[in-house]
Amino acid sequence: MKTISFVLNGKKTSIEVDDNETLLGALRERLGITSVKEGCGIGECGTCTVLVDDEPHYSCLTLASKANGRDIKTVEYLSSSGVLHPLQEAFIKSGAVQCGYCTPGMLLCAYSLLLKNADPDARDIKEAISGNLCRCTGYIQIEEAIKNAAEICKCDR
Amino acid sequence: MLPKFASVIAKTREEALSWLSSLENPRIIAGGTDLMVRMRAGKQYSRVIDVAGVPELLTMTETDGRLSVGSAMTHARLSTSEPIIRNARSLAMACGLVGSPQIRNMGTIGGNLANASPAADSIPPLLIHDAVLVLESKETRRRVPLEEVIVAPYVTSIDRKELLGSVEINPLRGYREGYRRVAKRATWAISRLGVAFAIREDKGRFTDVKLAIGSCTPMPFRPKKVEDLLKGAEKNEAIITEAIRMALEEIKLISGIRPSYAYKLPVLKGILEEVLRG
Repeated sequence: MKTISFVLNGKKTSIEVDDNETLLGALRERLGITSVKEGCGIGECGTCTVLVDDEPHYSCLTLASKANGRDIKTVEYLSSSGVLHPLQEAFIKSGAVQCGYCTPGMLLCAYSLLLKNADPDARDIKEAISGNLCRCTGYIQIEEAIKNAAEICKCDR
Repeated sequence: MLPKFASVIAKTREEALSWLSSLENPRIIAGGTDLMVRMRAGKQYSRVIDVAGVPELLTMTETDGRLSVGSAMTHARLSTSEPIIRNARSLAMACGLVGSPQIRNMGTIGGNLANASPAADSIPPLLIHDAVLVLESKETRRRVPLEEVIVAPYVTSIDRKELLGSVEINPLRGYREGYRRVAKRATWAISRLGVAFAIREDKGRFTDVKLAIGSCTPMPFRPKKVEDLLKGAEKNEAIITEAIRMALEEIKLISGIRPSYAYKLPVLKGILEEVLRG
């Protein structure tokens, strides 16, 4: 067992984890964050995506001990007191959510993109979500939602 | 669920080396993008040393005109690193094509080399930059050319007790350099063909040509005879045709005829034509 301390969605968190525990397992089983999902379990689908220091990582391939001292964000970070992030609003409006399984990972990759690039073009958006699979929407609505959210976020600045 | 194992997190190079020396049958983990997948498939590694946070493995230095790249630097960092783009453009391009954004944020150059896949994108660029690996254990330190480290697909001569500390490369300036690859999809796909090239021309002649071909033979390789043929030669269609013929012959000599070659070799011919014509 190891004790790890990290910032989870803006809050200091300290937990005990097993040596062979994944970050995905720790978030779901010890901290109740079930927005982070296991899809393939081998880093191919992106539904386990979390942000580590604002960069997307696959939590299914990340040892929980690697979170020590880092900033970890899950989709819960994006909304506060029931107010959705412009990205989340845009996803709803564009019909970018169908079964919803990929949505948290897609949102986090989009959020990370907008942090670095406030004015992404279609290529940047495709690249940012290229490590995440969606088997419902065909991606068109997701790309549109991210583009629309970028416009709104720009206006907010 | 992963098989049971004990892990330690190295904070310094010294610490990593001393654990490598004292632990029985240790395994190094950095990004985890290969090792975690293998463990999930049931592979047992009882002792794991995490070196991803070792500061000495995360730095890049320039000495005597050689660039030393820390083994735990991620593909994402290398693909956007200014010294890499300036001195080894093919490497920056290849690192930017590995896996997906998440894989590039996690996976490291050292891991890519230690895994030694025939399709590893970083290897052809490193070959044209005459990469030398710095391998250290508690008692020893050796520098070995990349060609000698990879002995078979997924097999290297790195000892269990050794740490791959850094990769030294020769900067190439004044070359037309790049990396071309073919895969089943534009992203998140394993390369079916990868070509790293660095070409220098002057007054209608090739003054220097470096080529490395990946995903075609058991290990990525440099067709040195082809490079020798082109070096100093007048640039024309006849010499380019001959160079490509020699390259394809060498591949067949190394691997024999493979079913995939019906597709790969004509595509490789096309890539080499474009690359050499410039």
